[in-house]
Amino acid sequence: MSQSPQIKASLFATCLVDQLFPEVGESVVRVLRRQGVEVDFPPDQTCCGQPLFNSGFRKDAIHLGRRVLKSFAHSQYVVVPSGSCAAMMKVFYPELFDDDPELGPQAKALSDKVYEFSQFLVKVLDVTDVGASYQGKVTYHPACHLLRELGVSKEPEALLRGVTGLDYVELPEGATCCGFGGTFSVKYPGISEGMLNDKLDNVVKTGAQVLTACDSSCLMHIGGALTRRGIDVKAVHLAQLLTGEG
Amino acid sequence: MAEVKTQEFQRASVKALADAKLQSLLGRSMGTFDGARQEAIEELTPQRWEEMREKGRAIKRHTLDNLDYYLELLYDRVTQNGGQVHFARDAQEARNIVGQIARSRGLKLAIKSKSMVSEEMSLNPYLEEMGVEPVETDLGEYIIQLAQETPFHIIAPAMHKTKEDVSQLFEEKIQRPNLKNIEEMAGAAREVLREKLVNADMGITGANFLVAETGTLVLVTNEGNGRFCTSVPRVLVSITGMEKLIPSLEDLGVFMRLLPRAATGQRITSYVTHVSGPRRSDDEDGPEEFHLVIVDNGRSRLLQDPDLRESLYCIRCGACLNICPVYHKVGGHAYGWVYPGPIGAVVSPVMVGLNKAKDLPHASSLCGACRDVCPIKINIPRMLLKLRTQLAESSDSTQRKVSIGEKLMAKGYRRLMSSPKLLSLTHRLGRLAQRPLLRKGLIRTIPFPPFSRWTRSRDLPPLASKPFRQIWAEKLGKER
Amino acid sequence: MAELLGTSKESFIASVRQSLGRTGGEPDERYAPLQEDLSSLEERASNTLERLKKDRGRLVEELARVAELQGWKVCQAANSEATLDYIRELLQETKAKRVVRSDQEIFRQVPVDELLEGMGAQVQVMAREQSGDGEFDPASAELGITGVDYAIAETGTAVLLPRKGISRLVSLLPPVHLALVRPTEVLESLDDLYLLRRLEYHRNGGDMGSYMNFITGPSRTADIEQTLVIGAHGPRETHMVILAQE
Repeated sequence: MSQSPQIKASLFATCLVDQLFPEVGESVVRVLRRQGVEVDFPPDQTCCGQPLFNSGFRKDAIHLGRRVLKSFAHSQYVVVPSGSCAAMMKVFYPELFDDDPELGPQAKALSDKVYEFSQFLVKVLDVTDVGASYQGKVTYHPACHLLRELGVSKEPEALLRGVTGLDYVELPEGATCCGFGGTFSVKYPGISEGMLNDKLDNVVKTGAQVLTACDSSCLMHIGGALTRRGIDVKAVHLAQLLTGEG
Repeated sequence: MAEVKTQEFQRASVKALADAKLQSLLGRSMGTFDGARQEAIEELTPQRWEEMREKGRAIKRHTLDNLDYYLELLYDRVTQNGGQVHFARDAQEARNIVGQIARSRGLKLAIKSKSMVSEEMSLNPYLEEMGVEPVETDLGEYIIQLAQETPFHIIAPAMHKTKEDVSQLFEEKIQRPNLKNIEEMAGAAREVLREKLVNADMGITGANFLVAETGTLVLVTNEGNGRFCTSVPRVLVSITGMEKLIPSLEDLGVFMRLLPRAATGQRITSYVTHVSGPRRSDDEDGPEEFHLVIVDNGRSRLLQDPDLRESLYCIRCGACLNICPVYHKVGGHAYGWVYPGPIGAVVSPVMVGLNKAKDLPHASSLCGACRDVCPIKINIPRMLLKLRTQLAESSDSTQRKVSIGEKLMAKGYRRLMSSPKLLSLTHRLGRLAQRPLLRKGLIRTIPFPPFSRWTRSRDLPPLASKPFRQIWAEKLGKER
Repeated sequence: MAELLGTSKESFIASVRQSLGRTGGEPDERYAPLQEDLSSLEERASNTLERLKKDRGRLVEELARVAELQGWKVCQAANSEATLDYIRELLQETKAKRVVRSDQEIFRQVPVDELLEGMGAQVQVMAREQSGDGEFDPASAELGITGVDYAIAETGTAVLLPRKGISRLVSLLPPVHLALVRPTEVLESLDDLYLLRRLEYHRNGGDMGSYMNFITGPSRTADIEQTLVIGAHGPRETHMVILAQE
């Protein structure tokens, strides 16, 4: 690793990690540094605009997107510990800025540099064993945008299988949405809860002690129900497992 | 036009969620459909399936982009086959056409094979009023007709009925008591309907495909009722949306592989009927007249919008309903109009008016499973987003439908996220505000919406003692 | 003579054209299949027939295999005796007294009338004008026998086309349908069929007859609780006898 020029990655922490789950951000930084990546954190960053975009407030989303384009204009790579925020930047920014002659190319350029955390490890750094160990049975929820917008399906599992001592068990009907869907969860709380119940049933079926995912949003949703119901399964971001926490 | 209840999605979905019987039926049946679909794709091989999907999509795109040309061609070819083509701008006009055909020829008994467009038109009550007896002959549709309801699912209209429901219905409506098993029920319906099938003077069908090149209408069925409808009555009237066209007869090779597999997981259905006009002079039987009624009824509005046009590529297989976790919870009737599920959440608002269906584009977690299973790769989530944008931002006030509260939240969020300083300040204030709500480190209830809708079934984590940006600035950023 | 009901063609199509922002005329991109001329169609069709002839043995096997999967009861007859034996057994099993058949050339090759009448059944050719004596109502027939125009190995489908002497109802009204297939009628795929029919249409100056029916196994429904019931409005039992190669 010392021979090759050092890889530099800017962390886009996401607003949820910044405000509610900073420990996820810390884990991401540690894992990346352990792989020899030089990490920076552009301080001007806030939110990618996805909540607004998904609610139809496109102009407001564009406003926030412009800030992101500026903050990360000079990054070599941008690493995002969330499939849905990464999808916003990688897939939806190019569409959002498509007819802007100045920002359109910038959005394209950013899109090429953006990677979701697990995707970055496996696809860019080409590692599946980050040297972590964890004792316990773990199941994994593939978040929708990670799976279907970014096409990341095998990477998280490969990383989990690379953790010494970790007993990986597949989640039945894993690819079915957990019912979060951003504002959907409060617009249609009943439907969201119904979907969540199905997800919980499947999680319990695995007998795992830990449920992991690459999105803090889904984990907040599922985890919030696990604690509410006193189900003894912890919801933990993949990055935390890769630093042996959880 | 069929009664529009799309405004009531919120209420109807809550009702459906509280309906234990419906929930158990949905829980039991939805997986079966998609399992069959997946097996059928495996059998064909996923590579071949992808190839067919790409081809199907390209054909549909080309046809819809040049629909005027292909309508013209279809008209010529159907006419050349001895059929008559009629055009209807809306449901009212379509009903009138069918009515006029029935009246001027003194037709009395109409056997119907499944047609979603006839549901759009509420054709049955109209025919009854004018003294024509309409009989739905697809078993599911027949059950729905007896129950005086609307279809619950595009290809399984009576999916929400248990066999006990059907047994009771048959006892009350067709005097066939004590039917215990499903086979007996199907048998009873067959007997009652057989008499109608062989005596009808009018056949009414929809269409799965219309081949412009040869003026051919294609019906894909399993029961055989479609064959009766196209063989026995002396007048055949097929009613169909204008999006059903495909250019060439050979294009059917693609769609015949896509539709049955996506819909029911079949390699092919028991019957595929290709109708190219009325019977010829040498034929032993078949309709003396063939009428094709091509209906717009709001489809132009979908056609007009380049972002929504692909909703017209839909071949009505129902795969998106079968995979949709929202449909799994609320079922078909909650959507409030003819087309339920993800594709319904796109087409219904445009066909009935967005202002009457503002809840439908939001009735999705945007998980994207619908797009994954669609045999034509229709990007439903993208169109839902487009409609959400119209609701939030359209310059046309009839299209814009967003609550003040929501708008304020959006503006507030934008303001907050435009300034890291303001975000840090809000974080500190939030830390203070959340203190009285904390129980064992979690927020269990917040008494006001929208947060109350979250905490009714989930805990909320508190704001962290230090946001990540602060941790980075103080410590983490200086480490190596 | 066309009666004008509803909106005129001109005005309907003009409004579609307007929605598309098109000025009319040919499609924006040419659609290759519709540009094809008769000689090219003929060439493709003759290549297809050549291929089918070469692969006939394999295709007959494939047809038998798939047709069985699709719910046909299939007999691959070793010789003309075997064909008659199968029909004889079928009559005994079904106890059919009244049989309808279509008037196709294949019945000169397979003398079913003598066979069935010899066993005491009445046989009737179903046609528009029924001749009087001793005839029965076709609606009461217990068995319908037809030849086919094609059989498709890919889907296990019998294809029936209209002609004088062929009623659409022989394969629809009776509870049992028997289809007699000659090896020369076997096609490999749906594509083969649609190509041949398309050629027929253009060779005839724009006519391929009033209909084409695909029959693939018995009629069925699953409209109540998704439970499969064999035998809806059409036959509940379908038999396919594939005759020996001549």
